[in-house]
Amino acid sequence: MFTLVRLTSILALSAVTTGLFAAQDKLAFRDAFLQDQLAWSEVTETARQEGAVDFYYWGGDDRLNVWLERTIAPKMAEMGVTLVPHRITATRDAVDLVLAEARSGKALGEGSVDVIWVNGENFYTLAQHDLLYGSFAPLLPNASAFEWDANDPRGLLNLFDFGFPTEGREMPWSGEQYVCAVNRDLMPVDATPHTFADLERWLTEHPGTFTYVKPPHYLGNTFVQEALYALSPLGASGFQQPLASFTPESLARLMAPGMDYLRRLSPLLANARNDLARYPENDSALMTLFQNSQTAMECQFGLYHVATKGALGQMPPRTEEIIFPVNNMIKNKNYLVLTSNAPHPAAALTFINYMSSVEAQASKLSEVGYPLGVDLWTLSAQDQQVLMAAMPAHFGVTQTELDANIAPDIHASLVTVLETVWLKYVEQHSDRPFEDLVRDAMAP
Amino acid sequence: MDAKRANRRPNFLLIALYVLIVAPVVPVIIQSLAFQWHWPDLLPSVWWWSVRGDVAFPLAWDYLLSPYSHVFSAAGNTLFISISVTLLALVLCLPAAKVLVSHDFQWKQQVLALFTLPLILPEMTLGLAFLAIFIPMGLAGTYTGIIIAHLIPVLPYMMRVLVSVYKNLGHDYEEQARLLGASSWQVMRHITIPMLLPGILAGCLFTLLVSSNIFLLTFLVGQGSVETLPTLLFAKMGGGSLDATGAGLTLIAMVPGVLLLLTTERRIRDYQRMD
Amino acid sequence: MNRTTRQWLALLPVLSVMLLLILGISLYAVAQSLGYAPIYGIDAFPTLHYYDLLWQQTGFWQSMGLTLYYAVIATVLALILGFFLALALVKQGRNHAWIHTLYKFPLMVPYLVAIAMVILIFGQGGLLARLSFALGWIDSPAGFADVLYSHYGWGIIIVYLWKQVPFMALSIYVVLMGMGNDTDEAALLLGARRWQRWLYVVLPQVIPGITSATLICFAFNLGAFEAPFILGGGFPDTLPVMAWRLFTDSDYNNRLTGMAAMVVIGLVLLLLIAIAGRLSRRVFQWQGAGHGR
Repeated sequence: MFTLVRLTSILALSAVTTGLFAAQDKLAFRDAFLQDQLAWSEVTETARQEGAVDFYYWGGDDRLNVWLERTIAPKMAEMGVTLVPHRITATRDAVDLVLAEARSGKALGEGSVDVIWVNGENFYTLAQHDLLYGSFAPLLPNASAFEWDANDPRGLLNLFDFGFPTEGREMPWSGEQYVCAVNRDLMPVDATPHTFADLERWLTEHPGTFTYVKPPHYLGNTFVQEALYALSPLGASGFQQPLASFTPESLARLMAPGMDYLRRLSPLLANARNDLARYPENDSALMTLFQNSQTAMECQFGLYHVATKGALGQMPPRTEEIIFPVNNMIKNKNYLVLTSNAPHPAAALTFINYMSSVEAQASKLSEVGYPLGVDLWTLSAQDQQVLMAAMPAHFGVTQTELDANIAPDIHASLVTVLETVWLKYVEQHSDRPFEDLVRDAMAP
Repeated sequence: MDAKRANRRPNFLLIALYVLIVAPVVPVIIQSLAFQWHWPDLLPSVWWWSVRGDVAFPLAWDYLLSPYSHVFSAAGNTLFISISVTLLALVLCLPAAKVLVSHDFQWKQQVLALFTLPLILPEMTLGLAFLAIFIPMGLAGTYTGIIIAHLIPVLPYMMRVLVSVYKNLGHDYEEQARLLGASSWQVMRHITIPMLLPGILAGCLFTLLVSSNIFLLTFLVGQGSVETLPTLLFAKMGGGSLDATGAGLTLIAMVPGVLLLLTTERRIRDYQRMD
Repeated sequence: MNRTTRQWLALLPVLSVMLLLILGISLYAVAQSLGYAPIYGIDAFPTLHYYDLLWQQTGFWQSMGLTLYYAVIATVLALILGFFLALALVKQGRNHAWIHTLYKFPLMVPYLVAIAMVILIFGQGGLLARLSFALGWIDSPAGFADVLYSHYGWGIIIVYLWKQVPFMALSIYVVLMGMGNDTDEAALLLGARRWQRWLYVVLPQVIPGITSATLICFAFNLGAFEAPFILGGGFPDTLPVMAWRLFTDSDYNNRLTGMAAMVVIGLVLLLLIAIAGRLSRRVFQWQGAGHGR
């Protein structure tokens, strides 16, 4: 049996080397790989022949851009693969591109996108449109650095992305936690908000000193999620079911307290005029307000962002992280996904695998400041030490405190509803009944 | 008016132009050199050069001039696209401009009017429609797609400049050469082309600039995967804030325009009259 | 081959490209707003559904008003200021000849550059705000005037003016210079301070000459995206920004609504061209210079 499997894989491989019938070869390679019939050396050999990998990712972080090209690209070159980084302004663009190419009939090997940095809604969209390569992640050598046991709650973030099963169709490569930071020159320690009620009280006394990024940007979505959790009687657990399990009435009941709160908050936010707030479009706009001392507090994904941005002169000198909101700080992982019409699937597998190596994770931690994607406890003591040493510092809070207040993302299928309802009800102050807005947003 | 007396008086126009046009560049230059410039400092508290060695990450101009910023590749893309569009536009417009100047025919005014239309179509409309058309053709996100899209705003300018070039040309020399027995090829080679060349060059430089300043069309048709200087700049400041590298990019994005202004201003002025 | 055929042959390539691109794009845009978008998995042509959705957008009419407001104010101001700049340039004559180079600098750089300058100077944490703080006029960034990120704010208009006053000035300057036999005569004419002569001789000659430039500016301002997106006051947005937000929404149906918004802008423009065409029959005649973008 073993020899037979080997034989088919070698046949598949030789077909690849001849370069004929590229699409069929890539299909044969995929099937062999997904059935665990290929040795890793065969994958890296095919990757060498493919020669390049097209990586699409949100290119708004200079540190990430530099790290990819200065540190990762040379490593990939050693493996015979040229890393082609495509910096996009919204991950959605890459998803659209894959979708459009699939619609125009481009099969495996014929598209232009190999790997996308995704999570949540975008992964869900790819899955809904059947644009994924397959369950490759557990088959990669570095899969050993992750907890895949469904019975271990610590492994949930590898198995579920915004409550949606990953089924190994994407590989975790980075973690994140939504953290708020305050400027101590403007907000003394005893005024630190820990709940949404605290925040509202602070803003009533100091209007205009806080704002959050405008949804549908994910940084804004996450703030809205936290408000929904913290103000709903069910907490985070109420939002973990797929859309289909809700009626408009039940979802409206669940979302109303949080959305009401956010609507109430909008006249108190930075740059608010005539009761409508002018929300920053992205993290750099958010940070400009914070750097200029216009806001006293900002929230974004970035467990270490105070340390890393501070090192680049982009933080007011007396900035500290805070625990906000208690028990509902969203922690998630983000992933590398391999598309169904990837032009260089083997090179993509090699790339994704390398990104989860201890070496890449350590340099990411120290050069970019993004938290670990791998699960520390699965690693050897020596690797653990390497990674611990690379971790940036915290200011004002401890890692233990941060770990004690985490919550998961909402279910991926609810994200669009959240965005639409927020836009209509909170940003635009729509007069229509809340339940009608939710019903419209839920309509396909 | 006595010229000498006018020179002694303060020249208000000059002062106004300095304040309104040159002065706004100064904060951009300062920002591009800043490491830390917090409220309410009037000047950066920490300059970029004083921390260059302390941070492992390339800062400000170190970043912009490194390959990681993609500034050079984006400049290369910008140049490649604008040169291709310009050459294409030149080939299309050259014979047409000659006919439009030297002959009168029915529909001439309508044909000329057609060349004003592209200046009125919003880039957003063009971009969204091009994108939907180009995606199934496989042209979205490609240089070809962007070059075709750029033709719309570029063609009118090329046509305008060429029409004025032909108008200023006059036919006297050609006639004389012909009377002296030159063949039409000789007339073309020794008279027409040398006389046209400076004007054509000025027109080309101008359309190069038009193309290299286009943002939205490139951004939409290129689907974010073709980087040019304007798309790089938008990615930096789309949220409404400007850090040191954003300010540096702003300065870099001015370079083509300033170069054109300094080198060919006179020439263009001669050809911009259309009557 | 006769003469006429040869002429049309010379015109054919550029004309067919123009017609194909412009007509193709315009028809496609209209068709898409009417429900034709197989690429997004939608084929409901013909339907007015997406226009219905557009009217139903909260704040659609505010968006429309805001779009027109920025376009009208900026164009009218650019025209007036451009006129005075052109006069100053004519009076300047040959003194400081390089002034003629200097004032064209804004024409030569992308709009994004102008936006960057406005952010640094007029933002609430910007240079003017810091100066006001240093002088004790305000005590926090929020105390500074709402130039940016506000509705009907001046940030967007300043960007348009910075770019377009030189453009208008150039167009008017060319017309003014064309009136006299040479610069000195034109200057003499203008220096004469004969306001009646102005009203009855100069203006009637200038107005048809600058209609085209004005129209180009107005059309640009109506359809512009970058400045209102970056410097605007958020919801309600101008129509092109609204179109962009609809286009980047996760629901593909919204892309067609976004296209409908752009078609509405096109209709407003057509209406305007028709009006301008009645006012001046020389709209499309080539007067002035063409430094539009």
